[in-house]
Amino acid sequence: MTDFSHIVQFFFSGLTSGSMYALIAVSLVIVYKVSLLICFAQGEFFVIGALAMVTLVSKGLPMPLAFVLSILISTVLGALVQRMLIKPIQNAGIGNLIVMTIAISLTLRGAALLVWGKESHILKPFSSGAPIPVLGATLQPQVLWIISITIVVLIMIWIFFEKTKLGIAMRACAENRLGASLMGISTDKAALLAWAWGSGIGALAGMAVAPLLFMQYGSGVMPMVKGFIAVSIGGLSSIVGSVVAGLLLGTVEAYTIGLISSKFSDTIVFSLLMVVLIFKPSGLFGKG
Amino acid sequence: MTDKRDAILSVKNVTKTFEGIRALEDVSFDVKSGHIKALIGPNGAGKTTLLNAINGIMSPDSGHIHFLGHDVVGHSADRVAGLGLSRTFQLIRMFTINNATVLDNVLLGAHMQLKPTLFESIFSRGKVNKAERKACDRAMELLRFVGLEKAADAAPGSLPFGNQRLVELARSLMTNPKMLLLDEPASGLNDTEVESFTELLRSIREKGITILLVEHNMKLVMNIADDIVVLDFGKKLAEGTPQAICANPQVIEAYLGTTQTECRLEP
Amino acid sequence: MKLLKQFWWILPLAFIAFYPVTLAGGSPYWSGLLIFVGIYVILTVGLDLLMGYTGQISVGHAAYFAIGAYASGILTAKYGFSPLGAMVIGMVLTGIVAWALGRPVLALKEYYLAMATLAFNEIVVTLIIGLEWLTGGASGLRDIPSFSIFGLVLSNHVHYYYFVWAIVIIVIACSLAVVRSPFGRTLVAIHSDEVAARAFGVDTAKYKTRIFVLASVFASMAGSLFTHYMGFLAPDDFGVLTSINILVMLFLGGIGTIFGPILGAFFMKLLPELTYQIHDYELLLSGLILIIVLVFMPKGLFGIFTAIWEKMFAKADK
Repeated sequence: MTDFSHIVQFFFSGLTSGSMYALIAVSLVIVYKVSLLICFAQGEFFVIGALAMVTLVSKGLPMPLAFVLSILISTVLGALVQRMLIKPIQNAGIGNLIVMTIAISLTLRGAALLVWGKESHILKPFSSGAPIPVLGATLQPQVLWIISITIVVLIMIWIFFEKTKLGIAMRACAENRLGASLMGISTDKAALLAWAWGSGIGALAGMAVAPLLFMQYGSGVMPMVKGFIAVSIGGLSSIVGSVVAGLLLGTVEAYTIGLISSKFSDTIVFSLLMVVLIFKPSGLFGKG
Repeated sequence: MTDKRDAILSVKNVTKTFEGIRALEDVSFDVKSGHIKALIGPNGAGKTTLLNAINGIMSPDSGHIHFLGHDVVGHSADRVAGLGLSRTFQLIRMFTINNATVLDNVLLGAHMQLKPTLFESIFSRGKVNKAERKACDRAMELLRFVGLEKAADAAPGSLPFGNQRLVELARSLMTNPKMLLLDEPASGLNDTEVESFTELLRSIREKGITILLVEHNMKLVMNIADDIVVLDFGKKLAEGTPQAICANPQVIEAYLGTTQTECRLEP
Repeated sequence: MKLLKQFWWILPLAFIAFYPVTLAGGSPYWSGLLIFVGIYVILTVGLDLLMGYTGQISVGHAAYFAIGAYASGILTAKYGFSPLGAMVIGMVLTGIVAWALGRPVLALKEYYLAMATLAFNEIVVTLIIGLEWLTGGASGLRDIPSFSIFGLVLSNHVHYYYFVWAIVIIVIACSLAVVRSPFGRTLVAIHSDEVAARAFGVDTAKYKTRIFVLASVFASMAGSLFTHYMGFLAPDDFGVLTSINILVMLFLGGIGTIFGPILGAFFMKLLPELTYQIHDYELLLSGLILIIVLVFMPKGLFGIFTAIWEKMFAKADK
């Protein structure tokens, strides 16, 4: 029998992984909207961001500085990848581009293995403090950080794409290539920016959850796939849809693990993905 | 001659909307067996949309399309092709992967006769090869018919656009169609080429193949069409013989105004 | 020179035939290496039919490898089936699974297709891990007997080597027969332009499913061969990373060539052996290899070989 406190506890863990999935989903959507490309290497930015921060903190850098630097590293890395690897083959067909992002994923994962080894690393929480008891369950302070970071990122994205000239031009780029050039941004530059944004947000997700998870070089694969599941459910072009779907996925997953079966939770989640893909390929919230 | 039974294709009240824009609105007309019917109208009038609806690439929102007595609305394109309807494309669609040649492209038209299966491809090579040789002979014959037998082994992309359209025509003929939908087959051809193309269409008609021809070259249309239907903004504007269409003031205003000099029948 | 051009295939065939007694010198280690190469050739050729010819991306080919492997392993180790019988049952089972999945999954495109295939791979692996009573779970399935046909046990590495490569040659011959026939032309048409292919009467869903079933049955066969060689099965060998490895072999060898996968599998299986001291570099290296292939060599190693080959003959013909 499961009592109420467990239900609350599962909700917190669902919210935690849900926020993580939502952030990765958002990073996928941003890249997709502008360059019509889903990056299978998004999970590697997640890992590299987190592990970079672990290293920087262990070198004695103050948390906030390490935080900003790690985001910067991932952002630059994302932009470099777009410029050096995606751009040269962008006319080679979507199949080759998918395989290229897989190649990038392998390369980055392999590089992370060399830099950080096979062992797991854990980041110290952003703020010290005892777990907070809520309705019989306990809430790690880091979860509050994760949720606030997610909210801040979403607000920033909203401001950027709705209020700034650059963001509006990038959005136009997603909708209409000619319109974008009229607004003074080349699709090329927009794609670069989108990759920078995407990898930065991916890294942020990794850094936010790093104090709760053991991070190692291969930890990015599942979050990336779960992020994609969120995107598939939410619709490839909808930021709001994928955030909702990410949170939903995290919650469903947490309750599945807690109440049904931890052994088969991934079987259930992946079956769910296949069902959604087959019956509603445009996503539950997508149009057309 | 105007007997209803003669219609090989009959389009009835076909309507199609794309994101709120009416691409086709209540379009109806018949194409008589053995005729060349031209479908003309300004760009964006819905001509290609209509062809797509007829051959099953896309379903209309409402209306009926009968081909040889079958209601083909809701049929997939391969089923419609199976009934004996083939087509060419306005934006040329050649098969180019893995160095496919012009001959390969034409041979794909034999798909419905060859109906390749995995089992036969692996275990019954003799039979497959024999059928393939026969198809090859026929494909070369058709390439000769359109005047491109020398290009059989070329990559389709290496040919000028006009010739690629002729390859598409040969590929469609390879299916042994009862009816052809040709989407601007003469664009990219020069004047002399248009003349020989006109002859080509005549001999196709003589073989008993019905043609629905979308074309902007009015000289070709006036020369060869048995009758004409005019579309404008997705609606049928007029239908009739070339003479009647030429004299129709509405048609002249909407479409022929700019090309009026060409709108006359040659003696 | 003319003779060489016509009968070039005798060279690799001779290599395969004499390898165990010459280069490998009867060493089980080096024979074993080429047994793995052979198994991966079967997997990669199947993926080539699906991706290179039909244009359908798959990031989950190891799923069918797994079904074949575990069908063989479970049936022989736990239920006393003969290896050949188990292999055939595995192929039929995989064929049915692929046939059932084919129509709905292959209706998807691009990312969706990639993700659906990946998801199926994960489903298979999580089931293997979860259904411990059947598969041995994460700790593995043990005591799988050696392959035997009609009472003849192939426990000797050299014997098994010939058995595996005989199957590889059959698989390649079948694949060549398929791609060099009207069936192959239809696949290429689907790859080039699905809508246009349909307009010429191709029931694209049916053809995609058929080739998917063939590729999966090949993979299942490879799985059975793998099982009896290893004698032990663990889920790690069948994850998405394995699927991606097959993908790397395909692109490195040359996609859409049938012969390329031999080169790709050979290279990728040899690489870890040559660099075993620096095992940690493997992941990075396969990523970099894939990047280099995508940017600089669209037809992979096979493309380079044929280019050199043609240049050689162009000179000789003068």
